[in-house]
Amino acid sequence: MDVPVWHAAVQQLEQAGKVAVVGIVQDQHPDRARLFMQWKKVDWPLLADSLDLLNVETVPLTLAVDEYGIVRFTELPMAASKTIEQTFISQTYPKPAAPPPIERGRYESFHNWTDAIAMFEQDVKRDPNDGAAHFHLGSAYRKRYDSPERKPTDFVDAERHWTRALDLDPNRYVWRRRLQQYGPRPAEPYAFFDWIRDARKDIVARGDTPTPLAVEPGDSEFDTPDPRAAAAKKPATEPDPRGRIRRDRGEFVEVETATVPVAPSPGDTVRVHLTFRPNTRTKAHWNNSVDPLVYWMNPPAGVTVGERAVAAPNADTEVSQETRTVEFDAKVPVSARGRVSIPGYALYYVCEDVNGVCMYRRHDITITIPLGAATR
Amino acid sequence: MRTWILAALLIAPMAGVAQQPAKPKPIWARNHPLPHGFNVGEAFPTIALPSAVDGKTMSIADFRGRKVIVNIFASW
Repeated sequence: MDVPVWHAAVQQLEQAGKVAVVGIVQDQHPDRARLFMQWKKVDWPLLADSLDLLNVETVPLTLAVDEYGIVRFTELPMAASKTIEQTFISQTYPKPAAPPPIERGRYESFHNWTDAIAMFEQDVKRDPNDGAAHFHLGSAYRKRYDSPERKPTDFVDAERHWTRALDLDPNRYVWRRRLQQYGPRPAEPYAFFDWIRDARKDIVARGDTPTPLAVEPGDSEFDTPDPRAAAAKKPATEPDPRGRIRRDRGEFVEVETATVPVAPSPGDTVRVHLTFRPNTRTKAHWNNSVDPLVYWMNPPAGVTVGERAVAAPNADTEVSQETRTVEFDAKVPVSARGRVSIPGYALYYVCEDVNGVCMYRRHDITITIPLGAATR
Repeated sequence: MRTWILAALLIAPMAGVAQQPAKPKPIWARNHPLPHGFNVGEAFPTIALPSAVDGKTMSIADFRGRKVIVNIFASW
């Protein structure tokens, strides 16, 4: 990323009022970019284009725009930051006969993600082969999934439209990375957000509070998976084979499942996402002074998984209410047709409210993977 | 020789004029064609984008009257 280089090069010119610098971040979760800017002490205005309405194929892109709104340099390499004062900032540009028109576009035309989804659904309906329309719609679904308006199916709908977008235009690097972000883990995992661990450590070390993230990155977004999850205590044998633990059917913890890709072919590896949300109606809290949440799976013959148990580490406080996720890869057999089901259950300790009654509960969760065509 | 002198006369005044926008490279010559509004000489898109800090929208057009360096990136 070239942000720190440009910041170092133009900071003084910016402070002297000779130029403005604006960051536009293409992340689905722009608060991660805020954390990055805090870490690198960059104070540019930071705008978010999570839906890629700017229609950029790749990043990073640095451009120089004159006082009339005209692009004077595009795709500036980092080396250009050393000479930008002479080549751009001190130059005089001709005033255009008429100022370019201002169209403020679509982010201002919706006020919530449900409206945005309805708007982009219309685009897709108008032209089902418009990859950008599918990407906009997919990103809006994921935005809603991460908002209070959320519907449990939003993540799967997001993936479906991202996948379609990339099928229609496989050259779009930003779209490709968006899908990869959620798995499955490739043979050579990409370090999307490994930097976040260093950023938080450094920010805390200098006495600041790291920008909080609305959605913590999942394991598929790291090259090196969370060492705390790997170290979390997991059972070696099935913990409740006779089903004796009392069930939670969502009274305390609501569970959602999603697989990436949505409809894999037989023989594919899929990333399974399990999301656990403490039920706010019952004021449920995680009890962090005992063993962490564990998901145990009993995959059918032919389905390959890494370990039979995956765990989500506890928070540092005695009780907490954060959303927890666990992820794992599952390889579907070549011979499978229709759908594959992986039965399993989560075990966790929850309390009713702070200082309330605490209990141990089991949540039965069957993961269903609908299969697409046998060959792509 | 006359052609060379003519060419030199035409090119010399332009040498120091960095502000003359270069013609965009044709699409077939690019590894990743840029969308409209990203090429030299075009007006940068004026779409208002939400601030990553407070969600309030802002457009690069709000900076008219000042030179702006726009850095489009992803934190991954």
